Amino acid sequence: MNKRRQIISLVLLIVIVMGAFSANLIAGNRPALGLDLQGGASVTLQPEGDYDATGLDVAVEIIRSRVDSIGVAEPEIILQGDTVIVNLPGVKDQQQALDIIGRTGELLLRPVLQTGMLNQDPSTTIAGSTPPDSTTDTVPVAGGPGSSRRATATTTTTTTATNTATTIAPVDAAPKVELGDDPNDPTQTVLLLDKNQIAYVVGPAGATGNVFKNDARADVQTGEWTVVVSLQSGPDGDVLWNKLAAACFNRTEVCPTGQLAMVLDGTVISAPSVNEPEFTGGSVQISGSFTPEEARDLAKILEFGAVPVRFAVSQAQTVSATLGSDSLRAAIISGLVGILLVVALLLAYYRLMAVFVLAGMTISIAFLWTLISLLSRTNGLALSLSGVAGIIVSIGIAVDSYIVFFERIKDEIRFGKTLKNSAIRSFESAWRTIVAADTVSFIAAIVLWYLTVGSVRGFAFFLGISALTDILVTYFFTRNAVLLFARSKRVQGRMVLGIQTVKPEVL
Amino acid sequence: MKILSVFGRLYRGETTFDFIGRRIIGFGVSLTIVIAGAGSLLIQGLDLGIDFRGGVAWEVPAGTLTDVDAREVLEANNIESLNAKIQFLTGTELQVMRVQVGDQTEPVRLAVQKSFADLAKVSVEEVSVASVSSSWGRSITEKSIRALIVFFVIVSLYISWRLEWKMAITAIVAMAHDILVSVGVYSLFGFEVTPATVVAFLTILGYSLYDTVVVFDRVQENATKFASSRQSFANIANVSTNEVLARSLNTTLSSALPVISLLVVGSFILGAKSLEEFAVALLVGMLAGTYSSIFVAVPLLDLLKRNELKYKPFRGQIATGAAMSELMGHGASERIVVNNASKSQTSVFTNEEISAQATQRATNALNHPPRPRKKRR
Repeated sequence: MNKRRQIISLVLLIVIVMGAFSANLIAGNRPALGLDLQGGASVTLQPEGDYDATGLDVAVEIIRSRVDSIGVAEPEIILQGDTVIVNLPGVKDQQQALDIIGRTGELLLRPVLQTGMLNQDPSTTIAGSTPPDSTTDTVPVAGGPGSSRRATATTTTTTTATNTATTIAPVDAAPKVELGDDPNDPTQTVLLLDKNQIAYVVGPAGATGNVFKNDARADVQTGEWTVVVSLQSGPDGDVLWNKLAAACFNRTEVCPTGQLAMVLDGTVISAPSVNEPEFTGGSVQISGSFTPEEARDLAKILEFGAVPVRFAVSQAQTVSATLGSDSLRAAIISGLVGILLVVALLLAYYRLMAVFVLAGMTISIAFLWTLISLLSRTNGLALSLSGVAGIIVSIGIAVDSYIVFFERIKDEIRFGKTLKNSAIRSFESAWRTIVAADTVSFIAAIVLWYLTVGSVRGFAFFLGISALTDILVTYFFTRNAVLLFARSKRVQGRMVLGIQTVKPEVL
Repeated sequence: MKILSVFGRLYRGETTFDFIGRRIIGFGVSLTIVIAGAGSLLIQGLDLGIDFRGGVAWEVPAGTLTDVDAREVLEANNIESLNAKIQFLTGTELQVMRVQVGDQTEPVRLAVQKSFADLAKVSVEEVSVASVSSSWGRSITEKSIRALIVFFVIVSLYISWRLEWKMAITAIVAMAHDILVSVGVYSLFGFEVTPATVVAFLTILGYSLYDTVVVFDRVQENATKFASSRQSFANIANVSTNEVLARSLNTTLSSALPVISLLVVGSFILGAKSLEEFAVALLVGMLAGTYSSIFVAVPLLDLLKRNELKYKPFRGQIATGAAMSELMGHGASERIVVNNASKSQTSVFTNEEISAQATQRATNALNHPPRPRKKRR
């Protein structure tokens, strides 16, 4: 019967939420705190070589987008004098901070001279300079980059499907090359690896990521994951790219393999073969056996282009909180006092029924805590003071759902309905209202989350999960608990919500 | 006693305030505050913090220095230290204290540099001084504004679909009013704007829309309920507002109490000054949010709706007092003859008669037991 379903649903919700909550406590997941409350790691980037003020500003913006896209919550990026300071919240380990920031260098396009597997001594030689095809044969790595990637020109919609088979020509016995010692120096010929440990000897950089526009996207085309990016026009854009493409397409001396490596921070991200001497369509399409993640990563790297300034990481340090623990303590204490006041108010106004609010709030808070600490661990979420205050505010808003519901019940009782009927009817109309109002909050959260960065994004996140929690708890907890209460025999005809209810003649 | 009885009636849901008839008061108050706020915004603008405008930073070999020492140095050089950002950096080398404040002139920079050097007992060269950029880049602002525009469009579409487009417009206007009021208050009192403040303004925006949607949902429901009973829109709006009044007050109280506690307990008693301005922004915004739903959004909606074909014949008829309570009590059950001043000849009942009738009907409703249910088999 209906009643049994309500009890099951109620018990199930409580068991699930409390189970997840205690599992989290046992696993030791706790919400990470933001820069203002707990500090984190601070990395100082010192510019090298030629740079100017505008270049630095652009660099800061690009670094910001990159750090944001990695998913660290609310980083702080400032220019202090000429150095760029990146503060990451919740990052305890300085090495971890360096790893994150280390990915923020310059994207270089370098012609590939040779590829192959690395032997034991990585610094000087390449064992058997084999063509990429045989590389994938010897190394069973799924989708080894360089094996079947190809860069093709696209004219608006049509894909110029050129023959892949002929693009990879075997390279003759390895010619002797002088290898430079700094893998990040764009002017030397150096040996680089990709993430699958395939080695590439690459020549001096022919261009930087500046040839691309910031519109790279990953897409499925003819069943393959493909990255499409537009070229900038002008001497620094398509002209430069076409010069490089022509060199590779014609297998000239600078680019004997026909492959063009995209290099970020000394790592080969992708090394597609060039299938066109001239890219007239204004865009470049890179396809091959990408996994979806690889395609998206590549798109992201191309999109953010190159940082116009080269940086040396000068130091990584631990940074203390700007506000300190007393601010957090004050926020938590005043939050608790606030909750007590709200409970007192509700008890005075709704009498016994306030118990449901209390129980519902406990479930909401346990649920939020679980979610936040889980995401702190997995996604680097960090609670800043505004986040804590936002949660305190959301308490008041969450109480609204109960108030809307209870006021409805009071209305219905006043018109002479029994408690049970009032509760059933009231829930229907209150539910409509609650869903409408929460949907507005949720839309705000989604839009702000997708379109913004930094602390606004943090806010959006908390707004979204509190709206969602409100819907969940109202439907699965409040509804079932109040309806069960309203139909129980003992409360019929008693004072409820401070009003006398009518005792039904037949139950 | 009178106040008590108002609360009593509120508690029992028996208030009959004429919000529409007195809309001029609400509009007047709102206009005054908005104009004052906008004027202040134009004249003195907003006091943007370091995060928005950048400033200057000193790095001092810290040794045993604490943030209290740093604040004393700043105060001694006539720099407001409340919003200074003080951080300690610990690396492989010695500890460094980084102190950031808003921009200062060259002599002040050098003076503070010297004070810090004296304090840390190091040479002046060991204390670095440099300009810092804003951490809240231009791109963050641009992205946020774009996001807000997208949000307004989607939310307007949603409200238009869920309720109706006139409600969407009014809800957005009411929200703009709330934001203007809270930003205006910030400007008037010269509070410093930090990223936390921006978050507070966004919270207000969400709260304001949420609150308006709850009120409009009831208006919509009543519009359907009264559809056959030929009422002016003003009556529907008044009835709905009175019906949700208890809810609005309770919600405001329960949302505002934690914020007030943040302000009083957190800021004044425990001394966490950083909470103060944030809490003030939230409090003002929340009060404005509830106020505008009732005193701005609903009367504005009436202005938009009263000339609709369905409501036009009854325009200007506003049931007050007992007549309104009758409307509230009986919903759409029968047509109420309104005691309208301009059409007094058509009125059948005097005031006393209507009120007597209303009381009687209300008593009947309460005394009359519900129809017994059929026995289950």
